[in-house]
Amino acid sequence: MLNIKQIENINLYSLFILVFLISSCSSMNVTEEVVYDGGIRTIEASIQEDAILDYETKAIFTNATVYFEFDKFNLNTKSLQTLKSAVSAMKDNESIRVTIAGHADERGTREYNLALGQRRADAVKDYFVLSGIDKNRISVKSYGEERPLSYGSDEVSYSKNRRAEIN
Amino acid sequence: MKKALLIFILFSQPIVSELVLEITKGSDDPYSIAIINFDGPKNINNQISSIVTNDLNRTGEFRILQDNQLLSSPANQDEINYDDFKLLNVDFIVMGAISQEDKSNISVSYEIYSVNKKSKIRTSTVYGIPNRLRQLSHYISDGIYEEVTGIKGVASTRLLYVTEQMINSRSIFKLVVADADGENEQVLLQSREPIISPSWSPNSKEVAYVSFETGMAKVYIQNIASGSREIVLENNSQISSPSWSPNGNFLSLTLYQDGNAEIYILNLKNKNLTRLTNHYSIDTESSWSPNGSKIMFTSGRSGSPQLYEINLRKFNSKPKRITFEGNYNAKGSYLPNGEGMVFVHRKDDSFQIALKYFNENFVRALTKSRLDESPSVSPNGNVIIYAISEDGTGLLAGFTLSGARFRLPTKIGQVREPSWSGFLR
Repeated sequence: MLNIKQIENINLYSLFILVFLISSCSSMNVTEEVVYDGGIRTIEASIQEDAILDYETKAIFTNATVYFEFDKFNLNTKSLQTLKSAVSAMKDNESIRVTIAGHADERGTREYNLALGQRRADAVKDYFVLSGIDKNRISVKSYGEERPLSYGSDEVSYSKNRRAEIN
Repeated sequence: MKKALLIFILFSQPIVSELVLEITKGSDDPYSIAIINFDGPKNINNQISSIVTNDLNRTGEFRILQDNQLLSSPANQDEINYDDFKLLNVDFIVMGAISQEDKSNISVSYEIYSVNKKSKIRTSTVYGIPNRLRQLSHYISDGIYEEVTGIKGVASTRLLYVTEQMINSRSIFKLVVADADGENEQVLLQSREPIISPSWSPNSKEVAYVSFETGMAKVYIQNIASGSREIVLENNSQISSPSWSPNGNFLSLTLYQDGNAEIYILNLKNKNLTRLTNHYSIDTESSWSPNGSKIMFTSGRSGSPQLYEINLRKFNSKPKRITFEGNYNAKGSYLPNGEGMVFVHRKDDSFQIALKYFNENFVRALTKSRLDESPSVSPNGNVIIYAISEDGTGLLAGFTLSGARFRLPTKIGQVREPSWSGFLR
């Protein structure tokens, strides 16, 4: 009899502790933490210089730049005029290889502009290929809005930056 | 003394290039918190106190009262006269003690009292590691923030961004990590060719970015602690716009190998590629939903850039257009709770940061300048940081969904493309 009562008391006591723990948990948060070690290491990119230019052949071929409207990649009449002479230079000298780099102005998002620059370079490439230039003589890339020619934030600067450069 | 001064000068030098915090507007109905000076070395208390105050002010949700603005300054729990605080409309009292085992090992214990309940509601200890007093302070800020608001704080998180600086008319690009308050800037990568589109891995131990160092856009993953890195995929065309899946196992990318920008998913373990889009117009700027079931991206297929969504859980799911207002909606990302998205929205001639909740049929324009871009949402979903251009200078600005605005002006070069880390504590 006495034993049972003792057990009941113990149970009641532990119940009290439990209730106390739960209630103290709900009214007070206890935390312990160690600060995160945010150590970092700096590295430097080694730049691969462009393939050495063949100046003799490059001299025959004048570098050209064509320009585009905002969010557009179609070639206008003036661009076609510019590209015509580039095509004939490439036909005259079969050893000329070109890189076409497309660019965008700073308006709009960077990745969309990178893709837009690519479309502009591709438009020039397509014209070359349609004009009979072997596509293996042409490589394309885009710099998006990352390499502006003019740093102003106005239409004059923007129109200079929306371009494809043939080198 | 002279030596100490010299050390101070050496350490304070980088501050010149550090971002300075400016709070331009706060919430209309803030929590009032009294922060009593912590027991311990006065100079350490002052540093911690100014960082914590700054962190909490930046959230726009607090009004901070220091010792000198109070009616009484209790030294311990028994000395608190709650009525003195009630008179000043103080909601919470923070008290603490700094213990310094040796020069570099500092720990702080702090307690939060509710004036309303007249009782202690939290007791916490933060153990610092050498030379990380700022980080320790951010932990205290976050402890206070989460106790009072019930939301995890982001003071201890970090920002990743790109800077460009002209030196002798040549650009130097840097990929930089800083604390969420713009302090403690550290350079991850320095290059003479552009770096774009940085983003954190879900565990915040690695970053992915696009570097033009080979002469063409390529995606890299870099471990921030070791500096080791790799090109994620080798081919002879451009690769760009990386975005991590929430579980960290996949990277969505824009590949140009098909002669046009198309989105693919790269399995980082076995390098398998799965093509996601197939359209002759531009598809790029992919971003994963928080549970990994959907991918949002920018596409020009309607004739102007608009946001689309693909359901990854459905076989052969077609992209669904999700923006209809205006002729330029791009670079979208989901809110951490999946209930909405932030993106760049063109209104008239301005590019603004906009928010759209999926259960609403209108767009909320959240910023007003002309060339706002690259919004990134804090891991708790409460703060959005983005890049602005002011008088030809790029800098970072932010706002909280509660209405506070702040900016992180820089003194040197252009700052752009902020990306917010995950929780670090």
